[in-house]
Amino acid sequence: MTTATENQAGADRGEDHRTAFGLALRIDPRISIRGLGRSLQSAAADPPSHVRLDDGELQQRWGALTTAPQRTRELHFGDTLLLSVDFAEPAGYLLWARDFGRVLISPDGVDLLCEPDPANADWASIIAAQALPLAATIRGLEVLHASGVVMDGRALLIAGPPGAGKSSLAAALVRAGGQLLSDDAVALQLSDGALIAHAGSVVLQLRSDEDERLSADGRAALGQATQSPIGKQRYTAADVPDPVALGGLFLLERSAESPIVEQLSAINPFELIASTFNLSVRTPTRLQRQLDVVAALASSGVAHRLRVQPGVDATQLAAIALAHLPVAIP
Amino acid sequence: MSDKQADTPTVSKLSDQQLLDARARLPQHVVHRSFVSETVVLNLRTGKYHGLNPTAGRMLDALEAASTVGDAVPVLVSEYGLGREQIQSDLLALTRGLLERGLIVTADDNGD
Repeated sequence: MTTATENQAGADRGEDHRTAFGLALRIDPRISIRGLGRSLQSAAADPPSHVRLDDGELQQRWGALTTAPQRTRELHFGDTLLLSVDFAEPAGYLLWARDFGRVLISPDGVDLLCEPDPANADWASIIAAQALPLAATIRGLEVLHASGVVMDGRALLIAGPPGAGKSSLAAALVRAGGQLLSDDAVALQLSDGALIAHAGSVVLQLRSDEDERLSADGRAALGQATQSPIGKQRYTAADVPDPVALGGLFLLERSAESPIVEQLSAINPFELIASTFNLSVRTPTRLQRQLDVVAALASSGVAHRLRVQPGVDATQLAAIALAHLPVAIP
Repeated sequence: MSDKQADTPTVSKLSDQQLLDARARLPQHVVHRSFVSETVVLNLRTGKYHGLNPTAGRMLDALEAASTVGDAVPVLVSEYGLGREQIQSDLLALTRGLLERGLIVTADDNGD
């Protein structure tokens, strides 16, 4: 946990103290990241990670390497490279994202040095979307590529391939009374055999056509609305939930049939491993933890397969999911 | 193939009887977790995951618990109700496969 002395030192520098993905964060006052928590007592990792703006140090540290960096991740759209992660001791993990800039994350995940793309006013969104999940993974949490909503005091996670409808279902669950944990990534902590879910950034992005179908009350339930640079409607929730026990996991799958929910007694472990957010960190400690978390997820009895037709009404889907909550939440 | 390529010639030269008399164990850098549908074996050095079906997963458990590979055979015979010859053949095939992939080692090989 953050000590009073650290808090005071941070306050002296005007740093913003936040939490996300189970990490306590000290953030440079020049960096604005939407949707992070304020409950520092809820952080799982100690000491806080320091998110700071680069003043030339990144190039100095990365340029001083005597060994060739190892490319650990690439994300493409067609032939265009959108994102990469390189690792080299002693500098750490260098995350690069097209039109966003670079973030150098120290090997222990405590220091995040940001070199923004000056042309992009929204550059800091890459910190919550990619850099913090990577830092959390380095620091002992397992991040699942999933949307998350707190329902009845338990975390309900929604995993699935891009475009499967994770955000739409999460939004519908929020409109049904839930509280957003994260739109895209949730940190899991294995504690005494139980899985605890930590909120990521509580910013939800909806496609415009889906947003247009919502009522005014429905939009208000999602939080403060802003337009995102990629044309989606972005909602920032008013509050960030404290860590909560896992209560359900829905694995979304496209189907030609009507929505079908099936509680999974036997789950493919490799499907869960593939749903973990970050494959750049390949240390033995992380690999074993990843397998332990996946084993805990599989044995928790809360995993469901939710087969949905493309374009199915999210409100209807949320009702179907909620109808299974008595099964999912003991 | 994984980090135990150097052992492969030795493994292939072991006779069935030598293998049955050997003790098999997991090296420190290999962990496994059992799921309903399969057992996942993870080599922490290479980062490679390997999937075993439930029967192979049970055989791995029996190999770990037995003093020798041969001692695991009667345990599995009683569990599966199949002939000793069949079980022994399947167990030897699995043991060779695991040894070749560096997922188990024989007792005289520290594997680390």
